[in-house]
Formats: sequence, C-alpha cells, structure tokens
Amino acid sequence: MSEEEKQPQTGRPIWSGTISLGLVNVPVRLYSMIRDKSYNFHFVRQKDTCPLRYQRVCTFDDQVVNWGDVARAFEVRKGEYIIFDKKELESLRPESDKRIRLEKFVNFFDIDPVYFDSSYILAPDKSRDAYSLLLYALEAKSMAGVGKFTLRTKETPVLVHVYKGALILTTLRYADEVSDPYVVKDLAKLKEPDKKELELAEKIIENLSGNFNINEYHDAYRENVEKLIKKKQKGDTVTIEPPKKEEVKELMAALQETLEQMKKK
Amino acid sequence: MERLTRVDFTNLDKMLYPKDGLKKLDVVKYYIQVAPRMLPFLRNRALVLTRFPDGIGLEGFYEKDAPKGTPEWVKKYRTYSESAHRYLDYVVCDDIDTLLWLANLAVIEFHIPLSQIDYPDKPNLVLFDLDPQLPAGFKEAVIVAKLIRQKLFDRGVKCFVKTSGKRGLHIVVHIRRDHIFEETRSWAHSIGIELAKETELVSSEKKLVKIPGKIYIDYPQNGHSRTMACPFSLRAIQGASVSTPLNWDKLGESKPPELNLKTVPARQEAWADFWDDPQKLG
Repeated sequence: MSEEEKQPQTGRPIWSGTISLGLVNVPVRLYSMIRDKSYNFHFVRQKDTCPLRYQRVCTFDDQVVNWGDVARAFEVRKGEYIIFDKKELESLRPESDKRIRLEKFVNFFDIDPVYFDSSYILAPDKSRDAYSLLLYALEAKSMAGVGKFTLRTKETPVLVHVYKGALILTTLRYADEVSDPYVVKDLAKLKEPDKKELELAEKIIENLSGNFNINEYHDAYRENVEKLIKKKQKGDTVTIEPPKKEEVKELMAALQETLEQMKKK
Repeated sequence: MERLTRVDFTNLDKMLYPKDGLKKLDVVKYYIQVAPRMLPFLRNRALVLTRFPDGIGLEGFYEKDAPKGTPEWVKKYRTYSESAHRYLDYVVCDDIDTLLWLANLAVIEFHIPLSQIDYPDKPNLVLFDLDPQLPAGFKEAVIVAKLIRQKLFDRGVKCFVKTSGKRGLHIVVHIRRDHIFEETRSWAHSIGIELAKETELVSSEKKLVKIPGKIYIDYPQNGHSRTMACPFSLRAIQGASVSTPLNWDKLGESKPPELNLKTVPARQEAWADFWDDPQKLG
C-alpha cells in the first residue's frame, strides 16, 4: 500500500446524533468508511473538450423544464402518475433519522453476512466517556447492537459493532430485498456428484488452499487508467482552445483581401 | 458574416516564435497574405511539411504522410516510399483552404520537390543551392549568384534568385519537362565545375569536409527525393525570415534577416514572369 493509501480518508462527518439504548444516550458522529476509487470521466465535446451540462426536457413538447417546475411522481399504471410533494414525503419519514435506537443485542457471528450492506465509522461527539463505555461493553460480550436508522432517505436495519478498536455502523438489507438462490430455476434438482469425481474436486480445492488476504487483490483497470493518464500528461494532451473572435476577424479581413486579389488574376 | 474558408482555426495564440513574440495567428495571417504569390509554387507537388506545434524552440518534425485527421477535401498524392517500405499519402496544396489548414497545423516551413505529381521523374525546376561555408557569408553568395546568372545568360537560360531564408541563396530555373533528375543534376554540376575553375570563391564538389570560405553549389539537391524551401516559406529560426524571391537588380540591397514575416508581405512582386517561359537546358 502506498503512503497515500494509508492516510485517513474520512473528511467531514455525514451525520451526527445519538445512539440510544434504553435511557442511555451516546452522542456520535458518522463518517464515511468505504470509498469507491474508480476514475470518473467527465463528458465533454470532442473537438474542443468543452464540458457538458444536462437539461431536463419534457418528452412531449421538448420544452426545457426548470427545477422549480419539477415534481416527484409515482407511476401507478403506464402513463398515469400520482404526484407527491417533497414535504409530504418528508413527513412520512420515521423519527429514526435523529437517533439510532438499539433494541436488541445479538451475537455478531450469528448474523448472516448476506444482509450486510455498507459500513460507516462512528466517532464520539462531545462525550467520549459514553462512547468508550459502549465500545468496551460490546467488545467484552462479543455482541452487536441491532436497531433501525434513517440515513439520508432510506430507513434500514443497522448493526452497531466493534471493529479495530472503534464502533462501526453497518447498514443491513431487509429480508425481502435479498433473493433466495432458489429463485434461479437452474438450481432446482441438482444431483449429487459421483464419489470419485467429488474426491478429485476436493483434492484440487485442498491444493489451492491458503489464507485469505484482501491485500492480494487490486483494481487492474484503475491502475491502467492511471498509467494512461500520466502518459497522456507527458505526451500530447489534447486541449484545443477555440479562437477568440477578434483574432478570427483579423484573419478573415486578411483573407477577404487575398481572395479579392486572387479573383483579379 | 459569410464563411470565407473551410478551415476552423484553433489555438491561434500559441507562441511559435517565442523570441520574436510571433504567435500562430501571425503565421497564419502571413500565409494568407502571401498565398497568391506562393500557391503557384505549391500546387501539384508532394509536400514535405515541417511542423512546430510547440513553437520553433522545441523539436519540430518532418512529415510526408498526411497527418491523422486530414479532412477529406485536402488533395493527397499516394506513392510508394522505398525508405518507409509503404505507401505514403502526401498532402498536395492546390488551394488556399489547404494552405490555411496546413498553417493551422503549425506547418512553419513548406518544402517542395522539384517535380510535380503528374510527372514525378521529370522536374520542371532546376536549383542552384548556394551554401556559404563560414567565414563566407551572404555577401559572397551574392557575388557567386551573379556569376551564375551570367553563365546561364551566355547559354541562353533565364534564371531567378531568392534568399534561402538562412545565409544562402537559391537560383531557380523553370525548365521544360524534357529531362530526368540525372540530367538536370549533371547539368547543374557542370556549371558549378566551370565556375570553380574561374573563381576561388566556388566549390563544386561535395567533399567530406566542406571547404571554409567557399560557396558550395549543392547540385545534388536536384534529386528525386530532395526538396527546396518553397518561395515565400517561413524558416523555423529566430527572426522568422522568409525564403524571399528577389529582383536581380535589387540583389544585395537587403540582408536575409530583413526579409521576414513582417516585411515580406508588403514587398513588390519580384518573380512576376517566372512561369512564362519554360527553359531548355543550355
């Protein structure tokens, strides 16, 4: 890992509030823990790298629609919409956007990881004592707190658990958001393999066994893009500047004169 | 405003001659101004371009093959190159749009072969390239040029003179397309040999070490794959000097650095009758 990658990558907190367990409140701040490092490209016009912007246009009359005239709608049937006001939708949101209420404590290793969505770092906000208390208690019991939380617009089940000496918030998927593998019809009626073939397959797996180390994997595509960016910076970076109007005028005046001269010949 | 050209100009404020403060805008404007006098020499020839997209201070490059992105309206000439082992598409500049498109590519120098694309083996130009070996300079080249003119006059051959844009002079003869390069080359050589016998100033032989103080007549420039700086071409040297056609009567009045991008467009026509009488090798 390069020096760069070892530096903390948190930035500003994305939320602050409290974790409540019964009558105890732990003031916390929430920080990003996971960051997608893919290179982002901007859309530009090819001939002059002029950046583009988007406009919302009505599909019927091609009129540009400003943000002030935009509404959220739910399509009940094709072409039939029910409009919702922004305030209406906000009022439907449960209170869980102000605090993370932990209702239950479970064995962390009993939780099926298929439901794990994303993780965030929890840091103490003002009082470090309450945070420290929760951290040590959870660690001693190897347990995780389960509750619900609304981050931005979605309410999800969450875990609060210990990871590398800190409290982590992990959002979970709802049960109906995760498909059971058997929805894929090809998986029905799988036969048990032949004994000898099975032994061979198991031997192969044994031969290739080792310890899991996430650091063995790296994003080759991203690395290749980075190399190409550096190459292009050294070589010919194409930034074609459009000429200023006065310059073109000067040339056109000279050209006019020349063309007249040539007509006379 | 009516669209006068197919060319879209870009990066016009790119500095091409940094010490002279000349930008691409100035180079393009220069070529616009001299186009009527320059195009007759460019047309119908497979051009060799020297491009300096980052200005003359940095490496320029020779280009024979039409560059990537050449518009379909630019005329090209396809021919097999022995040295490159493949077909090359040379750019042919027959019209002002092509000249402007090339100038926009930061083509600073235009080099033309002595033959045209319809008869590549039969040149219609003969070149006496007078190359002063230090400490000889422009003054000595002028003397030799006048001697050559006299020699040619005695043989009934009319010739024209231009500055190379550097320290030398070019004497150019417009000939009928009756001879191959071997013939024009040996003709130019023979005149050089004669002159070398008559004056100490001239060296006619391409020896390993060019003799100091002499004017070498570079007759091998009359070759199939050789080129000459096109009349009115800029040179990629500080001062933006031009390979300038001159009147024989005024030869010696101006020094090469005085004939440049700023001064040449306003000059009077000097080679008005160049194309009139194709000469026979006398």
